[in-house]
Amino acid sequence: MGYPHKSDPKENVVLSEYFGDAGARTYDGWVERGGYKALKTALGMEPNAVTDIVKQSGLRGRGGAGFPTGLKWSFMPKEKTRAHYLCCNADESEPGTFKDREIMRWTPHALIEGCAIGQYAIGAEVCYIYIRGEFTEPIKVMQAALDAAYANGVLGDNAMGSGKKLDMYIHRGAGAYICGEETALMNSIEGRRGNPRIKPPFPAAAGLFGMPTTINNVETLAAVPHIINRGAEWYSGLSLASEKSSGTKLLSVCGNVRKPGNYEVTMGFPLKELIYDLCGGMPEGRTLKAVIPGGSSVPILTREEAEGCILDYEGCVAAGTMLGSGGVIVFDDSVDMVYQIMRLAKFYAHESCAQCTQCREGTAWTVRILERILAGKGTQDDIDLLLDLADQMTGKTICVLSDSCAVPVVSGITKFRDEFDAYISGAREPVLTHG
Amino acid sequence: MNRATIDGKTITAPEGHTILDAATESGIEIPTLCWYPGLSVVGNCRICLVSVDGAEKLIPACAAPIEDGMKIETRSPAAVDNRRSVLSLLLERYPTTNLDAGAEPANIFESYLADYGVKPTTANQRELPLRSGDERPDDPMIRHDMSTCILCTRCVRACEETQVVGVLDTAERGGVTQIIVGTDGDPDKASCTWCGECVRVCPTNAIFEFLPRERFGEELKATDKVARSVCPFCGVGCQIDLHAKDDTIVRVTSPAPTEITPNDGSTCVKGRFGYDFTSHEDRLNKPLIRKGWEKENDRWEWRGGTDSLRRTGPWQTIEGEGATMKPAAPPRRQGKRLKDLPLLERTAEVSANRVATPIDWYEPFREATWEEAFELTAQELTRIHEDDGPDGLAVFASAKCTNEENYLLQRLFRARFGTNNIDHCTRMCHATSVSAMSDTLATAAASGSMREVEHASDVIFIAGANTAETHPVFGAALKRAHERGAKLVVADPRKVELAARADVHLQMTPGTDVALFNGMLNHVFAMQLEDTDFITKRVKNIDAIRQSVEPYTPERASAITGIPAELIREAAEIYAGGPNTSTLWAMGLTQHLRGHDMVISLLNLILCCGMIGRWGAAMMPVRGQNNVQGASDMGAIPFVYPDYQPVADPANREKFSRAWGVDPETMSLTPGMKVTEIAKKGSPVRALYIMGENPIISDPDIARAEEWFSKVDFLAVQDLFLTETARYADVVLPGAAFSEKSGTYVNTERRIQVTEKAVNPPGEALADWEIVTEISKRCGLESPFESPDEIMEEINSLAPSWTGVSYERLKGAGLQYPVPAMDHPGTSFLFPETFPTDDGLANLHPVEYAPPDELPDDEFPYVMSTGRQLYHWHTGTMTRRSAGLDQREPTPTIEINPEDAAELGVKDGDLVKVTSKRNSIVISTRTSFRVAPKQVFVPFHFREAAANLLTNPVLESHAKMPELKITAVRIEPV
Repeated sequence: MGYPHKSDPKENVVLSEYFGDAGARTYDGWVERGGYKALKTALGMEPNAVTDIVKQSGLRGRGGAGFPTGLKWSFMPKEKTRAHYLCCNADESEPGTFKDREIMRWTPHALIEGCAIGQYAIGAEVCYIYIRGEFTEPIKVMQAALDAAYANGVLGDNAMGSGKKLDMYIHRGAGAYICGEETALMNSIEGRRGNPRIKPPFPAAAGLFGMPTTINNVETLAAVPHIINRGAEWYSGLSLASEKSSGTKLLSVCGNVRKPGNYEVTMGFPLKELIYDLCGGMPEGRTLKAVIPGGSSVPILTREEAEGCILDYEGCVAAGTMLGSGGVIVFDDSVDMVYQIMRLAKFYAHESCAQCTQCREGTAWTVRILERILAGKGTQDDIDLLLDLADQMTGKTICVLSDSCAVPVVSGITKFRDEFDAYISGAREPVLTHG
Repeated sequence: MNRATIDGKTITAPEGHTILDAATESGIEIPTLCWYPGLSVVGNCRICLVSVDGAEKLIPACAAPIEDGMKIETRSPAAVDNRRSVLSLLLERYPTTNLDAGAEPANIFESYLADYGVKPTTANQRELPLRSGDERPDDPMIRHDMSTCILCTRCVRACEETQVVGVLDTAERGGVTQIIVGTDGDPDKASCTWCGECVRVCPTNAIFEFLPRERFGEELKATDKVARSVCPFCGVGCQIDLHAKDDTIVRVTSPAPTEITPNDGSTCVKGRFGYDFTSHEDRLNKPLIRKGWEKENDRWEWRGGTDSLRRTGPWQTIEGEGATMKPAAPPRRQGKRLKDLPLLERTAEVSANRVATPIDWYEPFREATWEEAFELTAQELTRIHEDDGPDGLAVFASAKCTNEENYLLQRLFRARFGTNNIDHCTRMCHATSVSAMSDTLATAAASGSMREVEHASDVIFIAGANTAETHPVFGAALKRAHERGAKLVVADPRKVELAARADVHLQMTPGTDVALFNGMLNHVFAMQLEDTDFITKRVKNIDAIRQSVEPYTPERASAITGIPAELIREAAEIYAGGPNTSTLWAMGLTQHLRGHDMVISLLNLILCCGMIGRWGAAMMPVRGQNNVQGASDMGAIPFVYPDYQPVADPANREKFSRAWGVDPETMSLTPGMKVTEIAKKGSPVRALYIMGENPIISDPDIARAEEWFSKVDFLAVQDLFLTETARYADVVLPGAAFSEKSGTYVNTERRIQVTEKAVNPPGEALADWEIVTEISKRCGLESPFESPDEIMEEINSLAPSWTGVSYERLKGAGLQYPVPAMDHPGTSFLFPETFPTDDGLANLHPVEYAPPDELPDDEFPYVMSTGRQLYHWHTGTMTRRSAGLDQREPTPTIEINPEDAAELGVKDGDLVKVTSKRNSIVISTRTSFRVAPKQVFVPFHFREAAANLLTNPVLESHAKMPELKITAVRIEPV
């Protein structure tokens, strides 16, 4: 559903079926639409059986990494000598990504139901939903839904009469992008500075409060009730290309298209169709220049690459990029790629938690050099310096924020070198006065 | 064990050892910046990344455990490239002044730059500004130069994890990330304790000690000696390293945390910054003799004034100073920027030279030669001994001096003068603990060790001890124990730091401890939580105890103590539940008229719950002075020879007289007088020898004590400074500070440690053992000692618990006595099987609650207690001559609850007059919620408002301990 537009027949609306339908927000409305049936079913099963269904469905993490969800759940220790936790990552901060926001705004109970099923499967009595602090409206909606879920006995000491204890809390973020990184998110919930932790230990061994923890993205968990209701086979069959990628994917499209918005398509959908058909193509008189298909952290595609890209985990890798969070940023031929890359780098420099030397210093330095180029003071050596820095920043740090900053720089320089050269040679007027 | 290869070398490493651990062990150096022993591993600097065969990325050596079969290359091209990258990225925002000058690397970071050949980009090519952060401008001890900060966060972790304070933190994100001091740059508001742990861990000197740099500058780079010593302040016995240059201590550092030391390498503010008193201009460097002593026909005669003129001088008495108006205490506030600090100038003005010895005080004295000083002292001691007999003499030994020195002093007075009138400040310290522990367990020291409390106790019960301030390094260990999950129960009338963080704070009416402990024991019995097995096998008289605590129901205890009965029950259950409970106490219990009973009732609780005699269940009277345990061990108390061998036992007299080469008949079988009885009207003592004590500030009811001192026949004082007591002396003998001599000290856990001499004493001053040896010889007692270790040989031949002690063996961590043989490893905890009583059983004594001597009434409505502050030590002779410490607490203050302050109409800094039945002082107000309403606290460090002018000299009957903790006072604004 291309909210706020009507859904396109080419979409496959599963998660977004009730986007725009205010009635789905209430407890009663959700139940009328078939809500909480899946949780009831799951509570009647063995927890392992729930995990197995999710495994068989082929559901993979929608936050960006695409790790098989059922497999992740199965990493949780089976013995229950210590508390287990589920964290729902609703810190959606990746530039260009706004799908989780819509899930929480329109179908809060879908998320609550998904979380509850996940909790039951992994043996976690407590789930924290960590919501980006700027999402004031979704937080309100989620809190109201959570209260209603408790009031109706869905959650609490005896969840849906199962005798199981399922508690859920909303934790507001405070404006740090890095808190979307799973271990930084846990530190943040614990009241510490949101710095990513060294791994290992992985969260399944020692996560929130040092206890075994699973952390899943909003979209991932929201898909779980559908899988329980309609079966693993249904879900694993939702695939237009690679069978390793199944289900539907919400894609947040922004940038230079006529109809930006969220679109839900079956895995394997062509990027070209998304841009030209679903989003109505480029603005009048413009042509496609570049696409970042998976949120700002993935390599930039040229027009040719983008038009051949298949939107699933394997298809994106084949095109030299990643599906990531599904935040599709579209650039037309009016866009200054050097400036855009500087903006992206500046975002990462600002959001670096500043633990690791390469990230703290590398991101800041990258921005300085890009600004200098944009100010017309760059040299060819600066290009080498940028690539050298990017190399130093890749694969050396605790989390991947540093890598994420390097990615657009490297792909930008590789694919749009002429624009850099134009600033350096003076062929293009400087756009910054400082630098 | 995992087998792996590092740089081709095969190694084995136990489970959990990191690559860095294993490499270090096999002598392969991997550079580190953020890693520090003992701190949590954050792996943020990324300099220690190494290549591991089969791994996609470089692996952080500090964080990655060795796995079986790993092949590690620490200097692979990728690893070395990464190191250069880290260094050049850090260098890009680091000042290059030192590097540009081609000087030696100033720190480990600069050394790495040299090792890896990383050169700075020239200044005009710099892309990024230097780093910045909170700077602590005008701080007296710790300053920051954050341009050299590399954000390794060692300081943040040390502050939070080692000291459990959390003053420092990382603020902001990205390129503007910086280290901050509290939220607004004010270390005071952020509860900084100035311990200097941050200084110690900083790898680039971004956080540095201010005083040495200010005073010694360049000299710091070329110190000529580093000597391992033991901190001269509290009883924790922290090992410290003294850095000396030209006979001056220029810096104190602490040992590596990897060495085994009682302090695990930490110090508090006094240990790290309080060393400069040793080079204060007031140090005595020549003997002084009171003008009026003249030598005629080979004899010294007093030709000066008599009666009231005999010992006067151009000074105010302590009483006079107490009543005088004085500058008000400056507010304690420091800001981020200099312009926020007008008040500090005021502090500097107020404190400049004010605490130094007034020049007038020297006027009644003349400088003398050692020959004259020794002659006069020996002549007068001998004369008064002949005239008045043995008990006309008395000696105050010193808890600040070494074991050897205390041993020599009691040896002189026992062997040569036949008196047991030997005592020291333990009388005002743990004397009631010693009497109570002797009665119950026949012991006089802590049963356990500090590290067992930190690592092995499940419950820590603290009664009347402000450990975080008075034993800060142990206090930090207790906080670490609490952080790891041990329960903390604190019984204290004040909400001191540990009380505030305790699981249960029993905030009682002062002096009601017996009722509390009996009440807890009542509940223990009621719930059948006692350790019946322990009781059956290890104690006697249990029925009397059961009977005696019967009436002390939690409700009745609550009525007496003011603590809710529920809390008493909870505390009792936690205490008895253990499974391993350690019990700590200090002056809050001992300095009472009923101090003996209070400790007895606490011992009853310990024993009935079986919380002694195993690792994790320690009985710890926390000793105050650095050698108060040792001085007592050496027999510097009136009733025992060294190692607690009673003087009343003729066999002991026989043994010691033989060793000391005197006729046993000349030695006394009668226990001697105690400190609190000696300096008192009607005392038979006419000659007093004092080594390193300052009773005119530390005795209760100073006005009367000062009067007594002004009338004694002969007074010799051996000290570093012309103290309030020394100004009344006939002879002042300049001794040596801890750094100027070697010797041994015993800490609160019976650990004997040896110190190394770092510098020579100033001028003609001598080591105290040299002074006492010479006086012994001149008084006719054979004393063939050429060095402290020779004295130790005599000690270990006479003290059975010390038989295995030698200077050689004491090197390193020292030894915890008993050390009964040369191959004995020392004793970390006592009494696993029996107690040293005759039958091996503990003797329980029933005790009843009785109120303190002075209760508040309409005329004196407040209860005043006295004690120590973090920044000062006892009578202030040392700390008030230490620039950094004195600036933190430059003036005397009284802690008043804000409610009471409002009622009195006074605010912070206002002067008030505090009056007890005995005297008055004028002192500045400091409002604080730490004291309960109608209670006040006055530290006893300050001459100009001496708390002990007010205190009650009433004495506890067993130990002759004055009731220093409870004085009824009235407060008036002035």
